[in-house]
Amino acid sequence: MQRTIRFRLNTEEHTITPEREQPALDWIRNTAQLKGTKEGCREGDCGACMVILGENIEGKPVYRAVTSCTLGLSDLDGKHIITIEGIAAAGITPVMQAFLETGASQCGFCSPGFVVALTALFIEGGPIDYHHAITAIDGNLCRCTGYGSIRRATAKLIEAFPELPKDFATRLAFLAEKGILPQALADTMHTLPEPIREIVSTTKTLGGGTDFFVQNPDPDQELIPHYTDLEPHAQQIRLEDDRLIIGSAVTMRDFFASERIRTMYPGIEQYEQYIASTPIRNRATLAGNIANASPIADMTILLLALGAELIIKNAHGSSRSLSLQNAFISYKKLAIESEERIDAIMIPATTVRISFEKVSKREHLDIATVNSALAVEEARDGTIKQARLAIGGVAPIPLILEEAAAMLLGSRPTAERILQAAERAQAAVSPITDVRGTSEYRKRLVYRLVLAHAIRLWPEREEELLP
Amino acid sequence: MNYNTDSIPHVLGTTLYIDDLPEASTLLHAVPLLSPTAHGTYSGLEVSEALAVHPSVRILTARDVPGKNELGMVMDDEPLLADRKWHYQGEVLALVLAATKSLARKALTKIAILNITELPAITDAREAYAQGKIILKPRVQQCGDTEQALTDCDIVIRGRVESGGQEHVYLETQGAIAFPEDTGGIRLIAGTQSPSLVQQVVARILGLPMHKIEIETRRLGGAFGGKEEQANAWAALAALGAYVTKRPVKLYLNRRDDMQATGKRHPYSSDFTIGLSKDGTIRAFEAVFYQNSGASTDLSPAIIPRTLFHACGAYRIPNVKVTGIMCRTNLVPFTAFRGFGGPQGFFVIESAIEAAAHALHMDPMELRLKNLVHTNDRTHYGMRLEDARAEATVKRCMELADWHKLRASIDEFNSKNHRYKKGAAGIPICFGISFTKLMMNQGGALVHVYHDGSVSVSTGAVEMGQGVNRKITLLTARCFGIPETRVKVETTRTTTVANTQPTAASTGTDINGAAACIAAEQIKERLLLFAAEMLHTIKTELDFSNGRLVYVKPSDKAGQDTGYSFDDIVKKAYESRIDLSAHAFYATPDLFYNMEKEHGKPFAYHVYGCAIVTATVDTLKGTYRFDTAWIVHDLANSIAPDIDSGQIEGAFAQGLGWSTLEELCFSSDGRLLSNTLSTYKVPDAHFMPEMIVEILDTPNPHAVANSKAIGEPPFMYGIAGYFAVLDALHAANPTGTLFFDLPMTPEKALRYLDNLVESPATLKTHNNIEENQ
Ligand SMILES: Cc1cc2nc3c(=O)[nH]c(=O)nc-3n(C[C@H](O)[C@H](O)[C@H](O)COP(=O)(O)OP(=O)(O)OC[C@H]3O[C@@H](n4cnc5c(N)ncnc54)[C@H](O)[C@@H]3O)c2cc1C
Ligand code: FES
Ligand code: FES
Repeated sequence: MQRTIRFRLNTEEHTITPEREQPALDWIRNTAQLKGTKEGCREGDCGACMVILGENIEGKPVYRAVTSCTLGLSDLDGKHIITIEGIAAAGITPVMQAFLETGASQCGFCSPGFVVALTALFIEGGPIDYHHAITAIDGNLCRCTGYGSIRRATAKLIEAFPELPKDFATRLAFLAEKGILPQALADTMHTLPEPIREIVSTTKTLGGGTDFFVQNPDPDQELIPHYTDLEPHAQQIRLEDDRLIIGSAVTMRDFFASERIRTMYPGIEQYEQYIASTPIRNRATLAGNIANASPIADMTILLLALGAELIIKNAHGSSRSLSLQNAFISYKKLAIESEERIDAIMIPATTVRISFEKVSKREHLDIATVNSALAVEEARDGTIKQARLAIGGVAPIPLILEEAAAMLLGSRPTAERILQAAERAQAAVSPITDVRGTSEYRKRLVYRLVLAHAIRLWPEREEELLP
Repeated sequence: MNYNTDSIPHVLGTTLYIDDLPEASTLLHAVPLLSPTAHGTYSGLEVSEALAVHPSVRILTARDVPGKNELGMVMDDEPLLADRKWHYQGEVLALVLAATKSLARKALTKIAILNITELPAITDAREAYAQGKIILKPRVQQCGDTEQALTDCDIVIRGRVESGGQEHVYLETQGAIAFPEDTGGIRLIAGTQSPSLVQQVVARILGLPMHKIEIETRRLGGAFGGKEEQANAWAALAALGAYVTKRPVKLYLNRRDDMQATGKRHPYSSDFTIGLSKDGTIRAFEAVFYQNSGASTDLSPAIIPRTLFHACGAYRIPNVKVTGIMCRTNLVPFTAFRGFGGPQGFFVIESAIEAAAHALHMDPMELRLKNLVHTNDRTHYGMRLEDARAEATVKRCMELADWHKLRASIDEFNSKNHRYKKGAAGIPICFGISFTKLMMNQGGALVHVYHDGSVSVSTGAVEMGQGVNRKITLLTARCFGIPETRVKVETTRTTTVANTQPTAASTGTDINGAAACIAAEQIKERLLLFAAEMLHTIKTELDFSNGRLVYVKPSDKAGQDTGYSFDDIVKKAYESRIDLSAHAFYATPDLFYNMEKEHGKPFAYHVYGCAIVTATVDTLKGTYRFDTAWIVHDLANSIAPDIDSGQIEGAFAQGLGWSTLEELCFSSDGRLLSNTLSTYKVPDAHFMPEMIVEILDTPNPHAVANSKAIGEPPFMYGIAGYFAVLDALHAANPTGTLFFDLPMTPEKALRYLDNLVESPATLKTHNNIEENQ
């Protein structure tokens, strides 16, 4: 039996017991008959299916753009979905107007998705500048315009709305007044519907569903998912003794936004933009990224370098810990039992400097050919006390290269030692050839990415290190 | 209104694409069963388990085709449904119908393909050629005497050039809905660039006369050539389903099936020989193009001549010999894609020029400038260039980018930076407009003026985001002197305008807009004649303007209002029993071509332009970014400048994607590896450089309203991106081996930096010149 859920679609509340779990996209299009949300790929890569999801995060309503093709319907309990129809209920909005005036809609198939993505940026409070606007649409593809007109549309919006009210309620009033949101819709957004929280016996743990629904676009009747964000504290990042505890439902988005994380690992937020896209980051959990056991998962690589450990819980509530480094058995296989799940991720609360590198065909929203992170813990004098080097895309599982990292320990590494570390790293991997790159390319990338880390961490070595 | 009102429903999300149309409760959903490998035979299908999934499940195979099981328009080599053998991965073996899409998918997984025998698959064009597997005969175009000229050249360079295929990634995938009619025929809503072609194919498949088949195309969520010939199968399958089951059938491909089963841009492998004198004048050029045509003929015979027509790019070359060979492989049938073989031709000549510039130690841009075509030059296929705008656009583009300063600043940057290197390159274009198949340069229009004065226009043009509806609206409104809001362009239907040609070859507006204008003029003529009689004047003293009937010169009341509006005159004319409808026909004039001699005037005119692109390479990682693109484009008198600038930027983006980012990957046994949007990447908002576009607006007397066609030519600008990255790589590794193997992926860039480029792409042979490297 699926759970009975209560949610709001635009301005209407729905209580439903879905026949089977499915991407919200299907329910929106086929059951609610709202056809403005398009299916372009059904794998999170095009943004044509974009909707705005309102949910309580730590007790406050938070609205963000997500791809509805990777969003589970039964995950909507207590949530609010806004589709293009909800935004357009009072006619053309300033976002739409900007698209019209700049000719940013040609065949139009992508347009609702872009409008939704940019409207979400307004609801989130911006800032509305070039960087944030482009980031807001980094999950939207348009094959017609070449993005010139779309950028001009965003420029118009940036000019028209240089600043948005900080406070959520004031901002909603402002957005309604400016016509960015229909008043009737904005009025509903202050609170979210009361979830039903029906307890049913579930068959599968899911985080954001961003991977699951891509692999299972048409899930079996038997699937009854348990979404980790239902658990108390699952969305929190908290400090316990000398460890940061990251709940199982913490998303990439929340991880990079966390003040705790940013303070502990200075500069880590710069890497966010190279991982997935805004709508995917808004949903994808760190736990899901690990549980996939993909050899190329970006968050896993970061967490490996940070020395993460997993707290694994079984069905009876008892838990054990497992170091992330030992968590991967073989390709896409994690060392946990089927009735176990990741309850939290722990990382040592020690300040480290971290460098993350990823090479992919497209710089944004692409899966890496090779990714890597190097985290170093330094003494005041620059001595390296601890170094962890993680590499993905070069073996069936993500790797920690201890020998190579060991070359960097001790006094501030010289170019010679760095080059040795790079050589060792390269020698330690034996990647395969696939659609994202040949084996020998990957090997050469490993060497070069170690150098890239070193240049970021010790810029004074750049001249000596460049090939 | 100062923007495209056609887009209003798009941004509101109310536009209805195929998958958005209301569905009848009896409708069946169709999904195709695709062949799993590139080449094989099988004895049949075991479907009992699939049929057991749900009572609504039906499975159709080749045996269910009542007419001729054939899609091919040139040759019978493309069955709609395979029959015990397949020739590429993604060929349709069966059609599964069920009450819902998910039931149909579930049933599909239960079908067993029996006794599969794998056969060897050919994936490489040259290998197919070596095995004698070619389609039709090679085509050769030539002028002068290359053999003699090459012996006279100071420098001769030979090289090899590869260019990869390209997936269309129209955001709306292929689809159609078929409705059985009580006449025994079929009505279809099809996502096609060519409703008449679909009509013809469906009639053949069902064994019915064409008038029993009606096709409507509402609009497409992108097409780019991918829904020309390649839309036929999906419409025909839906039609077959409706014909057999007597229920409406919808077939809307999911992305994976679409990428797997539909044709894409042809990969090419080519050899060139270019000969120059030491001052950089190109004397001779030879090229052999091995086109990877895929498993069936499709549009390849129309595409190969366009490659040959554009083999000399925008350059004047007195001695030319170019050969195009269609090689049959076991890949998906390659097909039309914006540029239609042109880009593959351009990339080869530009590669040759780049190699020549390096050999001669010349600035490639100067070498290009030096060899441009001029007015009254004759192309290698014998067409006189009437008003060549190559030099004007190239010079202006160099000015706009401040070329010499740009070069100097790049050199300075490169001398100061070790890790990051910049590069720049420019490409001129000269692109012929008209269908290369002469017969296709025709179109019709049907215009109705309703008696309230509102106007309806039907043509053969299909709206797919290129704005043809907007342009036809503006042209018709201009002709009637009424506001554009009074004109509506109808969906494209085979019952309103018949025997139409695909909306393709950039000719949508040229042909259909011209036909619409002729039809509108006819009605206007009748209205003015009627009004003149009523006002006791002559019709040349009257005209419509801003929806009013006004006096014009030579009338002495010129400028004065007659007191009547357009609507008044229409109403009165209607009451006086005047015909307010007109059909018109347009055939592009003055085209001729002798196929035997490969000589003539195949194009109405050429479009010129130039793009300069800059890139920055991270030489440590082999990755790159594009910084700026300057484009000067010969648009003539634009009918809708906002639409045309969108076409320029959009085409450039696709060209840049093809040149650098988009990598179609096949396994050695012919399976498509890049079959999702997570493995096949197209440009995103971050990827595109800043684009500075300027228009050359000299009028063009050879197209409607002095305009020029826009769709395809700017695609070629993207090729500049390849050479900009190559230029930056060369700055990092000046002794590296130049290579011409598009797309320029980061992997290839790193191979160059690591000196791993295999066989040198260019072999230089010098005649009378000293090697001074
Ligand atoms: C368009 C797109 C782009 C992407 N780009 C990237 C990228 O750049 N880098 C990258 O690393 N990944 C990328 N991904 C992959 C992927 O979505 C992520 O790895 C994501 O982190 C998975 O998290 P999720 O919460 O959505 O997992 P889900 O899809 O919910 O779950 C994935 C798997 O993990 C299991 N699982 C989830 N939570 C738990 C738990 N707490 N305990 C045990 N098992 C659990 C599920 O059962 C399921 O099998 C991309 C995906 C998409 C669709
Ligand atoms: S349909 Fe493409 S992202 Fe959802
Ligand atoms: S307008 Fe066609 S995909 Fe964006």
